[in-house]
This record gives sequence, structure tokens and C-alpha cells, in this order.
Amino acid sequence: MEYLLQSILNGILAGCIYALFAMGLTLIYGVLNFVNFAHGELIMWGAYFLYLLMEKPIGLPLFLAFIPALLFTTILGLGTDHFIFRPLRQANRLTLLIASLGLSFLLRNGAQFFWGAEIRTYGFEIRRGMRFWGVSITSNQVAIIIVSVVCVALLYLLFYKSRLGKSMRAVSDSLELSRVVGINSKKTIRFTWVIASILAGLGGILLALDTNLQPGMGLINLVKAFAATLLGGVGNLWGALLGGMVIGLVENLGVLVISPGYKDAIAFGIMILMLLLRPMVLLGSKE
Amino acid sequence: MRSILDVQNIYSGYGKIEVLHGVSIHVEKDEIVCIIGPNGSGKSTLLKTLFGLIQPRRGSILFFGKDITQAEPEEMAGMGISYIPQGRNIFPSLTVKENLEMGGSPIRHAKTIEQAMASIFQRYPILENRRQIKAGSLSGGERQLLAFAMGMMVQPKLMLLDEPSLGLAPKIIEEIYEEITTINREGVTFIIVEQNARKVLRLAHRAYVLELGKNRLEDTGEGLLNNEEVKRLYLGG
Repeated sequence: MEYLLQSILNGILAGCIYALFAMGLTLIYGVLNFVNFAHGELIMWGAYFLYLLMEKPIGLPLFLAFIPALLFTTILGLGTDHFIFRPLRQANRLTLLIASLGLSFLLRNGAQFFWGAEIRTYGFEIRRGMRFWGVSITSNQVAIIIVSVVCVALLYLLFYKSRLGKSMRAVSDSLELSRVVGINSKKTIRFTWVIASILAGLGGILLALDTNLQPGMGLINLVKAFAATLLGGVGNLWGALLGGMVIGLVENLGVLVISPGYKDAIAFGIMILMLLLRPMVLLGSKE
Repeated sequence: MRSILDVQNIYSGYGKIEVLHGVSIHVEKDEIVCIIGPNGSGKSTLLKTLFGLIQPRRGSILFFGKDITQAEPEEMAGMGISYIPQGRNIFPSLTVKENLEMGGSPIRHAKTIEQAMASIFQRYPILENRRQIKAGSLSGGERQLLAFAMGMMVQPKLMLLDEPSLGLAPKIIEEIYEEITTINREGVTFIIVEQNARKVLRLAHRAYVLELGKNRLEDTGEGLLNNEEVKRLYLGG
């Protein structure tokens, strides 16, 4: 029983992280209509930016370092748009796919160049979690849940209560019609990158706080985010949230039945299943 | 008197394909000008070019004497030109109210948007009843009305309509045309592109016939309705 509760909690924690990744991914897809394979590297760089700011010679404490780390991630996200994706705005999907794949390699190898391929941590000593009804949860994990809930609430307010957020949804429906009615599409697209980058950076930082950092961390989690996105319907923000939760839970509950070594295979399995059942979601036109 | 819109010798098209080979039109204040012609004559391309969605290769477009040949579509609504495209002309996943808000995108103050929306709702109570419904679930006629109302949000001086009757029932087409006439009397100038020429020629003050991307004829709506050649070619005898 305790083991089951612990697995559910672990599933929710993983689900929060996946949801943060998947929502960013799906936002970019919705507004710009392409799958950004380099989204995983925004996640990874977010975590490494925090590492950079917390390590010597800068040595900031966590609460001072995470805002500049998110700022750097946002600048990186905007930079990739400005220098790579914006010049390719009129290009076809295959070109964009390959460009984002190339960018993903470049950014991953860039991190490896500076910090090496080895696993790093932020250097907090491992503390015993608090225990409730036999379930253990660390303060970092509490932070994961709080941050995720706050993010979702802010996103809701942004998309349904603010003009900018509504414009983002409009651009996601139709870029051409947005231009026709006079929405500033350039500003809206830039803002979409800001939101997606912040979600990626936050998710990456939370993930690294809970586990560790390595240059490949974005790639494997991007696959989970893909699976979540497909599950929730590509371009659908709340679907991505739900999909992330489902993937996190299924993965961690699956461990009860099969060996933890196959954990990642579950997300892949879901993704392949979704592609077989709804093959048009990735490449076809969205409804 | 200076024309509202003065279009001189426009060449325009998509990629390597040139669709318009030197089209000229002019539109006077408070006119309803209709553009008819067979499929592929460049009617829709002309509207897109006027609105800046396609950059013309040659020629000039003056709006109240101001050169807008190079202007971007985002700037048009703010200058008082609304364009209602054919087909996808609403945001299906946004509610009716949000669609109207998007129609008011160039308006800076939220208060002004609310006032504009209130007057739209007064004019079209059906949209007010449906304001919380996703626009994607509206009927064809309601969609067209919403698209039209979105264009009205900025209180335009000139409205460009691309086949407003496309796919609608005859009764609804009548209603839409009647509405166009009413708004025209309130001082809004119209350019209407139509395949369905007979009906629109009755309300048009003046009309152009395009053929293969060139001006073919120009006359009053009445004149074209009675023109034997137009009757034979475009009005089905």
C-alpha cells in the first residue's frame, strides 16, 4: 500500500515536470506549426545556467540564481528563434525539423564542451524526505508541485484573461487571419518563445534539483514531452498538461509490474501507440 | 474630390506566377464597388494585394492620397481598412466575444474595445446570445456575420469583402447584402469581390469586370447587369 502511494506520488512529480516540458513544446507547435526538437536543450541549458550561477566563481544562492537562470534560458530561446527559425518562417516542415534537430545537437555539444559529459549536481546534501503515511517527499519535490500548479494557474490567466494571451491563441488558430485583423504577430511569436523558454527552464531546473544534470537530460525528457503532447493532441495546452500527468503516472505505476530498467520504454510505447492510432497528429494539419 | 482608394497599374502574384498584369481601379467615398470575373481572373489576388498580404511587383495603391503600396497587413485595420477573407475568416477555437476582441486588436484602450463590442452586440443580438460559444461551432451564416462584425470593430472607412455569399443559403445572402447596404448608408465604403455576380451587381454603385488579371469592363452595377456580353459570359445568359 505504501509502495503504491509512493509510486503515485512519484508519478505526479514526474508528470508535473513532463507537463511543463510538453506545454512549452505544444505552445511553439501551436503558434509556429513545427516541432522544435531543440526544446529539450532549452530544458538542459536552463538547468546548466543555474549550475553556472551557483558554482564558483559566481556562487549565488539558489533563490538569487534561478531568476537570472530563467532569463538566460529565455534569451537563448529568443536567440534560436531570431537566428534560426525566423529566417526559416516560410520554409517547409522538413527544413524546420532538420534545423531544430541540428540545433539540438549543437546546443547539447555546447554544454558538453563547457561542462563535460559527466553527471553533476547542484551540490545540495541529500536530505531525508518528510514522511506522511509512509510516503516520503523532499522539500524539492514539494517545490516541483507548487511551481507546476502556479505555472498552470498563470498560464490560464494569461491565455483566457489577457489580450496578449488571447492573441497567442488566435495566432495559433491562424497566422494569416491574425495579421488580417491587425494582431502584432511578431510580438506575439516572440512572447510565445518567452513563455516556452521559461517553462523549459523551470522544468529543467526542477528536474535537476530532484535528480542531476547531464548534457543528455533534455533529449530523453523531450521524448516524454512528445509522448505527452501526442496524448493530449498536438497544439492543445491543457491536453499537454493532462498528457504529461498520464505519462508520469503510467511510467511510475508500470514500475510496480515490470523492472524499473524499462521505465523509459513505457513513454516510447505510448508514443508509438499514439502515432499508430492518430498518425496525422505530428505531420498532418491540426484541427 | 480625391478618391478613397486609387489603385494604379498593379502587377502581382504568387512566387513565379503572376496573376495580375496591370489592374487599375478607383473607389470614391460611400461607394459600393463590386469586382466580378471568372475563376482565376485575379479578383481575390487583387484584394489580398490591396490589403498588403501580397506585395505588388509594380504599381501603386493610394488610400486617401497616402501611399500604402508597401504597407503590411497588420497596419491596415489601424488605418481604417478591414478585410474579410473568404473561407477561414474567424478564429474557431476562440469564443465569439474573443473573436470580436481580436477584431479590435489595433485599438489601444480596452475601454474602446468594450464600447465597440457593445455597439456590435446592440446591432447583432444573435452574436451577444452566442458570445461565450466557440466560434467554430457557429453555423455558416453566423460565422459570416461574426467575420463581418470583427471587421466592424475598428469602425473602418473601407471594407474589402471576398465572396461574402460563398456557401450560404439564399435567404442569408439577402440578409448579408441588406446589412451591407445599411452600413454603406452610414458612411462605410465597400469593395466586394463576388462570383455570384447578379445579386451583388444590384446593390453595387459601380463594378469592374476582371479577366485574366486585367481590367475588362467598368460600368455602373445597373449598366453591367444590362450589358449583353456580361450577361452572356458571367450571368448565365
